[in-house]
Amino acid sequence: MPADSERCYELEIPAKAQYVSLARLLASSIARNMCFPEEDVDDLKVAVSEMCTNAIVHSGNGTVEKPPILVRYCTGKDYLKVQVSDRGPGFDIGCVLNRERTDLLEKGRGIPLIQCLVDEFQCDSEPGSGTVVTVVKYLRPRENPS
Amino acid sequence: MDEKDKADSGLKVAVEDLGDISLVSLVGEVDVYTAPKLKDAINSLVERGRYHIVVDLEKVVFLDSTGLGVLVGGLKKVKSNEGELGIICNQERILRVFRITGLTKVFPVYRNRDEIPTKERERQDAG
Repeated sequence: MPADSERCYELEIPAKAQYVSLARLLASSIARNMCFPEEDVDDLKVAVSEMCTNAIVHSGNGTVEKPPILVRYCTGKDYLKVQVSDRGPGFDIGCVLNRERTDLLEKGRGIPLIQCLVDEFQCDSEPGSGTVVTVVKYLRPRENPS
Repeated sequence: MDEKDKADSGLKVAVEDLGDISLVSLVGEVDVYTAPKLKDAINSLVERGRYHIVVDLEKVVFLDSTGLGVLVGGLKKVKSNEGELGIICNQERILRVFRITGLTKVFPVYRNRDEIPTKERERQDAG
């Protein structure tokens, strides 16, 4: 991924639930401006919502004064990368990624859902050091009607 | 954002009783901010002894896993009272989230309101 051709935009939101829609709105605006198909715009909206929700919930959801959440949108020629950073308590990502889901009704749908909706997913977190989640969605080549 | 803005923003919830079934109609977005309104509506129905609930998602423009979590919580509550919680949805963008998480196997899915009585009759006939 050629980082030198990226254009990046940053949105800083308070760690409160009412601001998640703002992060979603900006993601959809950028994706539509890049001519992503509408179903991919929908996928990005859900992914960004999940990422921001996790960041806010793990930061206390406004119940205590917490540092803001940083949402960074980077556009390349054929991709949109979104990175959500929080300064919450962090967690052991291995516990989440390696957990086998046997009951559809149990909690923990967020990260598996994000992984299904984007092309690349990365989560960097350690207990005590905050969390950075990065996703990438690629523009698919347009199909030529023949 | 004051309390009035909070009440008006994002999601409108309306509840009506259709015989044995309670219909919860949603308009707007279901996310971490608005989902508590849906949770309150479902909890109020359960407290009233209404255990057959259908949530109409046809006018929902966005739903994420927080919304799914509230619906799953409601399903567990009504199932424990021998009830059922179904959804009305014919929008691919919303159904996709249910499908990816496997929840189309868990919730009865109706394509429109007209299907509810039919399915309910089938359920009663089968029982």
